[in-house]
Amino acid sequence: MIIKQLIEQIEGEAFVSFDMKDDRVEFSTISFAHFRGMEMMLEGKNVLDALVITPRVCGICGHAHLMATVRAIEDAYKNAGFKINLTDKIQKIRELTLIMEMIQNHFKWLYMVIIPELSKIVDLSLVKEPLKGAFSASIASKIIAIFGGQWPHSSYMVPAGITCDPTDIDIVQAQNYLDELISFFEKESLGVSLEKFLSFKSCKDFNDISSDISNLEKALISIDMHHKGFSHDRFLIMGEHSFTNVSKLKHTRTFKVNSKYIKTEEAYSPNEKTYALNALYNDEYYETGSLARMMSNSIPIIKNMHRRYKDSAYSRVMARIFELGYMLNHAKKLINGIDIYEKSITKVENIEKVSAKGIGIVEAPRGPLIHKIELEMGIIKSYKIITPTQFNIGSSTPDKPTPVQLAMKGLTKEEALFVFRTFDVCSVCTTH
Amino acid sequence: MARITKAERKKSIISASLKLFSERGFYITTIPDIAQKVGMSVGNFYNYFNSKDVLAKELVMYISQYLGDNIRDINERDISTDEKIYEIVSMYFNIADEKPEMIEYFLRVYLSNREVFSDGCEGMLCVSPFVTEMMMFFNDGVESGDLYDQDFFSAFGLFMGYLGGMVFLFGEKILPEPLENYKESISQNIYNALKSR
Amino acid sequence: MLLSQDKKPTLIWLQGVTCNGNTHSFLNLSYLELLLSKFELIYLPFMEVKYSFFDISKCSLSCDVLIFEGTFDPLMQRNGVLLKDILIHYANDAKHIIAVGSCASFGGMFKASAPDRNSGLLYDGDDFIGVLTKLYKKVINLSGCPIHPEWLGYTLSMIANNKNIKLDDLYRPVELYSNLSHHGCTRNEYFEWKVDAKNFGEKEGCLFYEQGCRAPMTHASCNKILWNEVSSKTRIGTPCFGCTEPDFPRENFFKTKTNMSIPQDIPLGVPKRSYLTMAGIAKTFHIKRLEGKLIDYKTTD
Repeated sequence: MIIKQLIEQIEGEAFVSFDMKDDRVEFSTISFAHFRGMEMMLEGKNVLDALVITPRVCGICGHAHLMATVRAIEDAYKNAGFKINLTDKIQKIRELTLIMEMIQNHFKWLYMVIIPELSKIVDLSLVKEPLKGAFSASIASKIIAIFGGQWPHSSYMVPAGITCDPTDIDIVQAQNYLDELISFFEKESLGVSLEKFLSFKSCKDFNDISSDISNLEKALISIDMHHKGFSHDRFLIMGEHSFTNVSKLKHTRTFKVNSKYIKTEEAYSPNEKTYALNALYNDEYYETGSLARMMSNSIPIIKNMHRRYKDSAYSRVMARIFELGYMLNHAKKLINGIDIYEKSITKVENIEKVSAKGIGIVEAPRGPLIHKIELEMGIIKSYKIITPTQFNIGSSTPDKPTPVQLAMKGLTKEEALFVFRTFDVCSVCTTH
Repeated sequence: MARITKAERKKSIISASLKLFSERGFYITTIPDIAQKVGMSVGNFYNYFNSKDVLAKELVMYISQYLGDNIRDINERDISTDEKIYEIVSMYFNIADEKPEMIEYFLRVYLSNREVFSDGCEGMLCVSPFVTEMMMFFNDGVESGDLYDQDFFSAFGLFMGYLGGMVFLFGEKILPEPLENYKESISQNIYNALKSR
Repeated sequence: MLLSQDKKPTLIWLQGVTCNGNTHSFLNLSYLELLLSKFELIYLPFMEVKYSFFDISKCSLSCDVLIFEGTFDPLMQRNGVLLKDILIHYANDAKHIIAVGSCASFGGMFKASAPDRNSGLLYDGDDFIGVLTKLYKKVINLSGCPIHPEWLGYTLSMIANNKNIKLDDLYRPVELYSNLSHHGCTRNEYFEWKVDAKNFGEKEGCLFYEQGCRAPMTHASCNKILWNEVSSKTRIGTPCFGCTEPDFPRENFFKTKTNMSIPQDIPLGVPKRSYLTMAGIAKTFHIKRLEGKLIDYKTTD
């Protein structure tokens, strides 16, 4: 029996068609209905315009798109034979604002999506406070705005630099907001200090605390989410950053990667029209995002969690929460390391001299975001975007399921809908 | 006989001094020379201009305004850019012909004695009406698609340098023909040099 | 108690072709919780309230305040229902219709997704031919890509307080769109003295001459009510892209369109001749303080 389900509050919406057998998901397909034609819109324009247009692919991760664009342009410069030198300051500030967008995303996902959705299927009473997500995210956005002028839709990254020229007071303000955010996370979410949280070695360490996170952890266990929602146990991390280890993992084994193996193909969605394409690495599906990133960084608690619960829905959710703490801590180091005396922009040739291809890859909140461009004297000949949700939430045939299709298999419809959201889905990005 | 107003008096000082400066040169011409030519006492002259330098600056502004007004009149006509070029060239050559002291003053005094104009007359301060109208002309020309978009001073220098050079040759009596005869070809040359490619 | 609860205006937030940017911008509002408490929330796309979109798409509910985000595409279906039918159903009953963002106001970024049919609620660019022109008296446009959270905060607060909102000729609140985004820019003095920014990445210099800044031609209060309460594009050296105006998105965002070095577009309402006169004269003076660095770190070591 096919059941069609509208899923909303996932940055847009999607349809899932469940093929149910004995009240369990036998197979599912996913469709994204709203096409916007961003790639087509970019063709024929000066590539610098992409710095304004691509952030508007997505309201929640537009900053990652900005950085993917700037990296793609800089790569095209290099391929055209021009040097791009980024000062340490440029790199740190870019990373910082990218991370802050990831943090605001994770806070919203935690309080506006995961806790409310989980509370629908657990008996434990979970406190639903979605606006905590908005509040904490708004502090993270302030830090972006100090350097980027605003969030969402900043365009402050430009080839070979950033447009801002921060002073000491900007740094102090950013540090203060970050401290405020960390303090919020400790008091409102964790129930322990960030330092202690980051030193956790095992999931059992949650037992001693009572907080939003520990309650969430207990609730996940209570409905057996540590034994459900398994996917391929293959992970992909493609964006090069100070906080990533670019690689693919099969179980716990790490392998080198090359972006040339990333391909997209038509989605399989027999019941519903879809505009999404599936993304694969070397013809295989990989899970991307927080769990993948945390796995590749060999973090004790994540390794421990994975040893016990593999890539279950539990691991996926808890890795994302752990990443919140990890990134807050990393952001602190980045801010403290910014040397305001360094240049905000370095010398760069006029874009009209660039006729070349370029690729820009960043880790967006949900995983690798890839922008591929082809320029002819600075004008966009073609622009291709591959978003992380295309890796995680592809819709393929039963013999070769995507991460989400595999993760939902064998679950009840209600469980499957929850597991769907553990991937943190971005519909608008998927149908750029 | 009606009494001569202060404004008229001022105007007669301007036109007399323009002639004297361009004929004799700026440094040689004295205030008594000018007062005498206008028919007023030296003391009275100072009621109009505090010094020769002040007068010198006022003259530049006067010429700039005069040229600016004429070019503005052309700019606001509903004619094509090449016609406007002809009109500007024509206007400029007519002035050189009929009131040569104006152009002479501009070329020989203003552009040659920068020290006189270094305080309060530098840059655009005294020539603003003229340069503004040339900017309007170039802006409209590019906006209408007739002229090639390039640096303002590259275009301005080509246009005004050319006209200034021709008037100089004319003043030196080197030109074999009257200025009138060059209007057409020079307008065409300017248009060809500036038109959109 | 119950009575006051009943009196709260009901609110639905509906989306067309969008990136959710207005939603996420709005979530930054510092008094979000307080503001939302003044309404009976029927449906929101960003958090669970009384009804789901499934319920909304059946078109059997109604609301006092309808917020619409995104470009209107007459062929778009949501949950198998034409968006047009859903929009018109709720718009007919609503007392106030708020178009949030430039997409909903003028077509904006996603007009280009289907240029021949997509538009804003009232306007397609600046043509008054949108889908809700018959209901124009109820529509408030909040243009911007995205909207500033305070702009919607202000509008909803005024509605909750039963106050009249005065609108400009594009149906935008005069309170929010009378200023130019140039007003309050920290680079104003550089604009006055025509000192252009030599490059990106500097505090000094005005972005109007070279870098494409549209702030003197753009109605918005971005430099009056700061973004995320801390800054604005122009303050951190990014040009204003004119995102609140009907012609957004334009092209060549990072380059000032000039004709022979003369800016094609000049500050709103200023005759070009007057502008050129003033600019030429201002440029004549070389103000040493404005040509140097604002903070000279070298000498303060």
